[in-house]
Amino acid sequence: MSLEGKLALVTGGGRGIGKAIALKLASQGADVIVNFFRHRDAAQETANDIEALGVKAEIIRANVGDPAKIDEMFDMIGNKFGRLDILISNAASGVGRPVMDIDIKAWEWTMNINARALLLCTQRAARLMDGRGGKVVSISSLGSFLAWPTYAVVGVSKAALEALTRYLAIELAPQGICVNAIAASAVETEALKFYVKEGLVKDSHHVTPAGRMVIPEDVANVVAFLCSEEAFMIRGQTIIVDGGTSVGLLALAGREDDEHG
Amino acid sequence: MTVEEQIREIVARITHVDKSIITRESTFKGMKADSLDVVQALVAVEEAFEIEIPDEEAQKFQNFGDFVSYVENRVAQKEKV
Repeated sequence: MSLEGKLALVTGGGRGIGKAIALKLASQGADVIVNFFRHRDAAQETANDIEALGVKAEIIRANVGDPAKIDEMFDMIGNKFGRLDILISNAASGVGRPVMDIDIKAWEWTMNINARALLLCTQRAARLMDGRGGKVVSISSLGSFLAWPTYAVVGVSKAALEALTRYLAIELAPQGICVNAIAASAVETEALKFYVKEGLVKDSHHVTPAGRMVIPEDVANVVAFLCSEEAFMIRGQTIIVDGGTSVGLLALAGREDDEHG
Repeated sequence: MTVEEQIREIVARITHVDKSIITRESTFKGMKADSLDVVQALVAVEEAFEIEIPDEEAQKFQNFGDFVSYVENRVAQKEKV
């Protein structure tokens, strides 16, 4: 499963899941462009780790919620490299509020970063993949089809992202571009620690059939597979990486009652 | 317009607070700004002055005056370069 000679862009690649993805792709031989928005030091650290694996790394700042910044980022990639083989649309943001408190500003901020960015980035990436094919993987979450407290606008944005992934997969297939998504349950990252601390998310390792929480590397492993030629016939799918949580929900609800009752 | 006046305009626009009542002692909390307002204000100021404000630095701001002082310093450093 080699990605040698490939050039990948990972949005939000400086930290958390994005960092794990960037390092995994690098470990498979890909050169990686790490996009970041608010954390330059973390992105630079990730780039250093990538280069330590013997491949090339670049960091590039862009708020993917801003179409002009997306254009600037792809202009830079086009001018410097003239190509792109892999796009990982991972950058995400969101406003945690009950539905009745979601205002237009919170809605647009979240939708633009989480869903519209996939559209705009893929439109630009496809031009750099034209004639050579490519891979696009977007990062979703189980909140696209489950309802979690205060997760509404993020959940809706992820549902939009998954639907867009299907349309992109069909419409870009003639160009040899494979498009898929990954939906993970709560992933053990710094962001999750914040949500657990704030009481918005429960530490769920005890209700995960696989016996532990999902870690960033679990997501990165599937991303690497979807970016390989072995995954050529997988198109427009959302692959769930949740240690069995979603299929075991009913059984686990009983188990949780037992533990707390 | 001074750096402080420009930042005051930006913060007033994002938080919907009358700029005349934003003083150097004003806090985002006092202006009823949520975390999204704060991020959007930081981004707007970054773009206006072509600087970067790392989150680690932004978290140290106790009030509007701290925010202004930080940006004034960054702008002065940029002009020296």
